[in-house]
Amino acid sequence: AKLIFTISLLLGTTITISSNHWIMAWAGLEINTLAILPMISKSHHPRAIEAATKYFLTQATASALVLFSSMTNAWYTGQWDITQLTHPTSCLILTSAIAMKLGLVPFHFWFPEVLQGSPLITGLLLSTMMKFPPITLLFMTSPSLNSTLLTWMALLSAALGGWMGLNQTQVRKILAFSSISHLGWMAIIITYNPKLTLLNFYLYALMTATVFLTLNSIKASKLSVLMTTWTKIPPLSATLLLTLLSLAGLPPLTGFLPKWLIIQELTKQNMAVAATMISLLSLLSLFFYLRLAYCATITL
Amino acid sequence: MALSVVLLNGASFHGGCCRHKVLLSLLGPLLSNSKLYSSYRRPGAEPKKKLSWQNADFSFKKSIDHLKTQLSLLKKETQDYLGGPRAHALSQHLLEQTRVLWQFRSQEDLNKWVISSDVEIGGKSEVYIKLGRNNQAALLYGTLNTEAPRDGETKYSGYCSMRSRPAVGSFNRKKYYDWSNFNTLYLRVRGDGRPWMVNIYTDPYFSHQKDDLYSYFMFTRGGPYWEEIKIPFSKFFFSSRGRVQDNQHPVWLDKASVLTLGFTIGDKVNGPFQLEIDFIGLLNDRAHREEFAYETYDKN
Repeated sequence: AKLIFTISLLLGTTITISSNHWIMAWAGLEINTLAILPMISKSHHPRAIEAATKYFLTQATASALVLFSSMTNAWYTGQWDITQLTHPTSCLILTSAIAMKLGLVPFHFWFPEVLQGSPLITGLLLSTMMKFPPITLLFMTSPSLNSTLLTWMALLSAALGGWMGLNQTQVRKILAFSSISHLGWMAIIITYNPKLTLLNFYLYALMTATVFLTLNSIKASKLSVLMTTWTKIPPLSATLLLTLLSLAGLPPLTGFLPKWLIIQELTKQNMAVAATMISLLSLLSLFFYLRLAYCATITL
Repeated sequence: MALSVVLLNGASFHGGCCRHKVLLSLLGPLLSNSKLYSSYRRPGAEPKKKLSWQNADFSFKKSIDHLKTQLSLLKKETQDYLGGPRAHALSQHLLEQTRVLWQFRSQEDLNKWVISSDVEIGGKSEVYIKLGRNNQAALLYGTLNTEAPRDGETKYSGYCSMRSRPAVGSFNRKKYYDWSNFNTLYLRVRGDGRPWMVNIYTDPYFSHQKDDLYSYFMFTRGGPYWEEIKIPFSKFFFSSRGRVQDNQHPVWLDKASVLTLGFTIGDKVNGPFQLEIDFIGLLNDRAHREEFAYETYDKN
């Protein structure tokens, strides 16, 4: 049964990223949502069912809004092409719909609890594969998106992702907040240089996959279990340290590259204030990454 | 729905000659002034108290004081958030193996608990709580009476219970506990040999889950000596509305939100009972390796 869900996920993602018509994109998003729901609620624990319900409600609303925005655009411009989404109202509705899909502030409330209620591998899929189609849609419509709104959402995401991740002791929630702040970085640059968004996403997906798979192999779901990593697989704890620092964006690790290029691009676009603010706000997330790395490797 | 039934009846009469009957049947709900819910009161149940909106006190000064208290609580919560999870440093969270949740040293500790008995369904048991000698413990005492109330539908009776009030933060928001570091409940009690049932109620997300409870038994010795009872969380079984369910799952402690702990006595023996509780705490028993005591049936 798991094979069906995994193949449906791949199908949904492929349909969305290769589509030219809004209906195809929407169909792919819906297939993704429906396919991952049984994977979230696999254990039938009330917490898992709660996570699945929250996920379903938010994603269904967001898909409906995507369809609505494409419909209003089709009403005004007469065509359903994804790259030709030109009407400002449609762009606004689409931005909020994709923000809901991704978990950008102020539509981020579902994300930590959904990740907490799902198993680790499903959490990995939620953080990486399920983010890919919405980012693709933003990429395709990026010329006509409202940059002020996206900048505000990005700054708030970086702020809230950093701030709320500070006192978490459950590792999955920490990864959820890290995801939210990384999405902030991705969203801030999409109207200026969408390729940087994709670069950021690919590197983030790689690093997050590493972290999730590491946590899965040591079966850690809370911070206190992370502290015993060194007894189980010592080299893994060293690589976990490097991966977490890379997620935090510290040079000379890979995670610094997208941040550097984004700051450079923002400065070129006369948005130095936004660049400064988002860099300062990532210091908050650096704090909890460092704490995770500290617990896992250096230990108390 | 009743209104629609009345309207349908009225519509069916309309073709005939009984027009004044139609008028009466349509105006019936308006004329009778009945409440929209049943006013049946179980025999022995206390008469309906004043509704909460009738208790509203529109005093401006009191509301300003209330607002000031809540704002100061909020300020304290923000300062605690900066300190670490639950206002202590992270190292304490990672290293702690015991935690005292409730201890009974003063009247305000007693006010955190609510006692109830089968008087609410019409029975005759009595239960009281007071501070024990030298303010060192809480004494829960009373008389159990298994005589069923004569209302034609109740077959069994005779229970008394004590439940903790859910903790609320500033502005009456729910406080979430993180008990994931611990795996055992630790109670220091002095009973009288009667068996008690310990219940854990987690705040439900869905209204279907509002009756579900995790329970286990506590057998007291009755001697003049205090005993320390350890109940692992893996032993708690899941029941809903009093019926033990087939699908069992362990109680998740990570977001032990608004958890209320309760003690119930209902062992079908008429007579007095007494339980002294010194404190209730949590323990991380490293020797206890069991994850869950009951078989979970995996649905594919």
